Amino acid sequence: MTTNLIDIQNSDVIMATSNFAENHPVGFQWVMKAKERGAKFIHVDPRFTRTSAVADIHVPLRSGTNIAFFGGLMNYAIQNNLYFRDYVVSFTNASFLIDPGFKTATDGGGLFTGLEQTGKGGSDPHVAQTYNKSTWKYQVDGEGNPKRDNSLRDPNCVFQLLKRQYGRYTPEMVERVCGIPKAKFVEVAKLYCGTSGPEKTGSITYALNLTQHTNGVQNIRALCMLQLLLGNIGRPGGGVVALRGHANVQGATDLELLYHELPGYMAMPLRDQHPDLKIYLEKETPKGGFWVNKPKFFISLLKAFYGDAATKENEFGYQWLPKRASADAYSHQHMFVDMYKGKIRGFLADGQNPAVGGPNAKLARAAMQRLDWMVVKDIFITETAEVWKAPGINPKDVKTEVFFLPAAPSAEKDGSLTNTMRLIQWHEKAVNPPGDVTSDAEFFTALAKRLQKMYANSKKERDKGFLAASFQYGSNPKEPDMELVLKEVNGFATEEIKDKDGKVVYKKGQALNTFVHMTDDGKTAGGCWIYTGVTVEGPDGKLINKANSRKPADDKDYLAHGWAFAWPANRRILYNRASADLAGKPWSEKKKLIWWDPAADGATPDKKGKWVGLDVPDFNAFLAPDAKNGDKPFIMRADLVGAFFGPLADGPFPEHYEPMESPTRNLLSKQQNNPVVKIWQVPDKKNELAPFGSKDYPYVITTYRLTEHHLSGVMSRYLPMLAELHYSHFAEISHELAKEIGINNGERITVMTPRGKIHTAAMVTHRLKPFKIDGKIVHQIGVPWHWGWKGVDALPGSKGDITNDLSATVADPTVYIQETKAFMCNVKKGEV
Amino acid sequence: MLRSPEWHMLIVWYFFLGGIAGGAYFTAAIADNFGGKKDRDVIRIGYFLSLLLIALCGILLILDLGVPTRFLNMMGFFKFWNPMSIGAWMLGVFGMFAFVSSALSLSGSDSMARFRRIWSLIGTVTGFFLASYTGVLLSNSAQPFWSDARVMGALFLASGASTGMAAISLLMYLSGEAAGEGFEKVKRADRFAMIFELLVLALFLALLGSAAAPLTTGHLAPLFWVGLVIVGLVVPLVLDLVGAGLKVPAVVPAVLVLIGGFIMRYVIVMANA
Amino acid sequence: MARTLAMFTDTSLCIGCRACQVACKQWNELPLEQPEWTGSYQNHAHFTDKTYRLVRFIEKPKENGELAWLLMSDVCKHCAQAGCLEACPTGAIYRTEYGTVNINQDVCNGCRYCVTSCPFGVVAFNHDTGTANKCTFCNDRIHNNLGPACAKTCPTDSIQFGYRDELAAKAEKRVAKLKEMGHKDAQLYGADTNGPLGGLNAFFLLLDRPSTYNLPEKPLLPQRNVLADSLLSVGSALLVGVGAVMAFRERGGKGGGHA
Repeated sequence: MTTNLIDIQNSDVIMATSNFAENHPVGFQWVMKAKERGAKFIHVDPRFTRTSAVADIHVPLRSGTNIAFFGGLMNYAIQNNLYFRDYVVSFTNASFLIDPGFKTATDGGGLFTGLEQTGKGGSDPHVAQTYNKSTWKYQVDGEGNPKRDNSLRDPNCVFQLLKRQYGRYTPEMVERVCGIPKAKFVEVAKLYCGTSGPEKTGSITYALNLTQHTNGVQNIRALCMLQLLLGNIGRPGGGVVALRGHANVQGATDLELLYHELPGYMAMPLRDQHPDLKIYLEKETPKGGFWVNKPKFFISLLKAFYGDAATKENEFGYQWLPKRASADAYSHQHMFVDMYKGKIRGFLADGQNPAVGGPNAKLARAAMQRLDWMVVKDIFITETAEVWKAPGINPKDVKTEVFFLPAAPSAEKDGSLTNTMRLIQWHEKAVNPPGDVTSDAEFFTALAKRLQKMYANSKKERDKGFLAASFQYGSNPKEPDMELVLKEVNGFATEEIKDKDGKVVYKKGQALNTFVHMTDDGKTAGGCWIYTGVTVEGPDGKLINKANSRKPADDKDYLAHGWAFAWPANRRILYNRASADLAGKPWSEKKKLIWWDPAADGATPDKKGKWVGLDVPDFNAFLAPDAKNGDKPFIMRADLVGAFFGPLADGPFPEHYEPMESPTRNLLSKQQNNPVVKIWQVPDKKNELAPFGSKDYPYVITTYRLTEHHLSGVMSRYLPMLAELHYSHFAEISHELAKEIGINNGERITVMTPRGKIHTAAMVTHRLKPFKIDGKIVHQIGVPWHWGWKGVDALPGSKGDITNDLSATVADPTVYIQETKAFMCNVKKGEV
Repeated sequence: MLRSPEWHMLIVWYFFLGGIAGGAYFTAAIADNFGGKKDRDVIRIGYFLSLLLIALCGILLILDLGVPTRFLNMMGFFKFWNPMSIGAWMLGVFGMFAFVSSALSLSGSDSMARFRRIWSLIGTVTGFFLASYTGVLLSNSAQPFWSDARVMGALFLASGASTGMAAISLLMYLSGEAAGEGFEKVKRADRFAMIFELLVLALFLALLGSAAAPLTTGHLAPLFWVGLVIVGLVVPLVLDLVGAGLKVPAVVPAVLVLIGGFIMRYVIVMANA
Repeated sequence: MARTLAMFTDTSLCIGCRACQVACKQWNELPLEQPEWTGSYQNHAHFTDKTYRLVRFIEKPKENGELAWLLMSDVCKHCAQAGCLEACPTGAIYRTEYGTVNINQDVCNGCRYCVTSCPFGVVAFNHDTGTANKCTFCNDRIHNNLGPACAKTCPTDSIQFGYRDELAAKAEKRVAKLKEMGHKDAQLYGADTNGPLGGLNAFFLLLDRPSTYNLPEKPLLPQRNVLADSLLSVGSALLVGVGAVMAFRERGGKGGGHA
């Protein structure tokens, strides 16, 4: 998220593409504040939801057509000259020239230049294909700098390519593809593109509505590109509002509970490509932008892992890090397919319920039933913990040995949660967990210590790092002191650090104030460089936990910098240099955020000038606007500008492809699906897809969540006061479709896909309407996915069928996220 | 959206029997004061019936409370404008009148009889009250069906009178007193009460208009039209007027009136159950 | 009497999240109850003895073909002239010093007259305790300088808590602003102390007619006619009495009686 939820109140137009009010009701207060001020609120959603209920305009859009919609908006802005030209020319790569060999999807029949087959081909339509990206690059001058045309007229400049790419995305085409009536689309385009320019800003929110598609990453890029085009990034009331799915998913991402990255967004080394530290750092460190500091962050991370055992001589323990065998082998979906195939024998599910929550949940359960052992750690006995006695399963046939460990929820432990706006908020233990219940920290440090004991006599090189690592935080032998964990994450000096005058800057062990002070010589350690500054040493030598500070917003500080700590460096709006023009003055008085004050004291006593304002500058505070790169706000990119042209696995521009299961041919090109989509071939017909045009599966289905329930229901279905808010599992169906299949509100129905079927209650409503796609009526249904076979016994409705049994194991080629927002199903009356 | 008080059969019985008690008492008291010696059975039956029924009524009411042990909470509190509050008090007051009147009706002494007549004449007020306050109670709720016509109290009073008199007739018939002049007088009084009740009922329906739907067109409609209007009012009236020629036992109209009176309480209470 | 407190529920800010409903249940320790199929997200169809705050979901197709989904968090109105309070024969229902209406659970004997005397159908009978229940305005909280749990938890300030006079003034401004913004049917319900029932201490801003929200257009005090009804009863008692006197009197016509 580039901005801060509080700042939404400054938007002139807010366009929610997700179900903001239902899934993020607390953050939604700022939308209501903006509305009270007179801002317009647009909601784009296939369903009319509680968010639509308070929207000025509801835009019904067929699931899976977001890129067509955003592309249509970009085309509208370009064709009608509504983009923020000064911003686009100065702060983005629109003026950069691209290799003349590159052709857009408009010229490539839906494909970009360079698609190559890497698999066998033949009759299988889903052969592995990849893009050869040799033409997806800037033209450079003699010094290696990208060539530019600030008039944006060169046919090879990014802007002209963009215009060419989206020239097909006309309002008529949007109507045919998305099902949005042209008049409504134009109304929305006018309203939203009206946020372009110095005086206005608009924000766009998204959540899993954009991500859970086989082109999920490109969906988000399309949104970001629209915001760049309108000059809406880094400015008050602008931004990309990414709404994370639950309390600490941002923290989990930052600390990288992921297979492909290490804490602080640094790549997990690959076995073949990164044989040693030197090569890793060479390959992974860009030539420009703030990431040139990566070696400092990475070596500090290794020091945090291995402590004194990490030395310059042993590459700071780099060789002890596990290495990935291949870049694309360990995602959630990979894991369950491999588990089903017998490649994975043991599994630890910590606070996760894949028997209900993941795609193709039937496959996930079948996979877990083939394990040798499984440990489930959760706050209730989940479906995952009881996968060995799932309905229809004879426990005798399941050899998996399951261990259940009770876990402490947040109120029973100290710690932090990082929310959707990168805000690290501390929480204190309110009560001790009952009985044998342990916190995650206690469990994992205890596990690590036991493993260290078991391997204490190991002479193997690979075990040395693990044995050297310390899992003791504070004096309590069991429960770690979480503020010391936070300090390790924050970073500290491993030895005394002096400045060039010999003055002690950091004592040994002192918490670092900023990641700028990290070094690549082992003198600093830090578990996640972006968090540095969250805890610092006070004048009395005690740690000040800024995540625990609670000073609310006031007239002087509307962004509430005194409320907890937002990474990085407590910046609340990222790329905020873009809130000022080239000369460093706010684009407009109304939309000011930071600006260059030439009279302010500079970095050294002999210099003047500093970036000042209402937020911490996301920029070198002393870099004058007229200095080299003083006008380039996107400091995390090597070229320092916002990217319209941004090579990903499936193209440098987002292009609309139909979901893997779709009710229509692709009207924008002859390329039906994402050409580099990831599809798993799973034995035993565990991952069948409905072929295009299948009469057996004529209806679009989307899955989603409700305010009253949380994810797979573990934190809501077991609680009577939440579980009783919904009568039972249900599917939302339009009156038109209900009439077609002859069902009434409340009747039992069966929803089926090639993967599975569920029984549920039909909620017949005006809030769903059929779409008119290319002249034909297309019905869409919606099914929430919170239910499983467990819940409150006294409330039968708290239990229900597993919606994810319907979805498939297919993935976006960049991050391998599932496609659970748009696929095809059939609906039949009664329980068949 | 309004809410039902969940008053069911206990309350139906209470309304029915309370009406009879009130009706029987004031019928007896009027007979006592304005009638003659031949009305002695009417008087005695009326007083004792009202005493018996008021005791039963108290039990029914207490049983219907959510917390029966707290029935005395109503006695620690008095709201003169609240039908239920005065009703609770008046139940006791009426019981006292019925008890004294009954007791005195056993005595043959003239001085006692004189005292009884004065006592009972005052007591008629409580009898009228008991028969009608339940109607006022209903019509001062938020339910349109109960409150939109303002004559529920009047209707209950008329029904209390007719059923009270019918109950006396029935008891006289059963105890072999049906041949006397007293029996005829009760029947005559009842005839008047029934005609009055029919008129009030018509007025009630007219004033309610569409709010009468639960009675006139709902699932209770057959019971209302057939059970109350035809069987409970029209038929007994007709029998009463031309009954002699039809050789129908004289008690039949009384039984029908009682059935009709019960049905009236039933449909009115259950329409909001 | 202390200054009157109130809750102002601004339905134009309600997002139907039902946090109020859950906060109410949690704070008041209201037990589990079976939901019912209402055909929409709403549960329950109406207040129950275990649901004091209830979010209503009203689907209403508009003239222009678009849909309105009206969301409203409903609650006991704490009427200035309260039908339940007037109906209570035990004194269990009382008005607090803050102007709110409360049921003393230790005094209520479960006669249920209040249940049927509430013009909004708020008061409900609890079969487990045998007493009548309703929103307490979080009586325990307001006596400890905390707002009601529902108002405290509302993420969008759709439910606001404060002094009645201040909230009513705020509500007037808000409704004017909404009308300016094009919500032509925006209106206050119960804010006016000169209005029906002497004003409601839990009052509302609605975006449509009250009846759309299942509220009476003009709520009336049930007890307003008790005198008239009583007089009608007295009149009919006289008539019936005269009839009986005529039937029983001995003097005059012998046996005929048709005087």
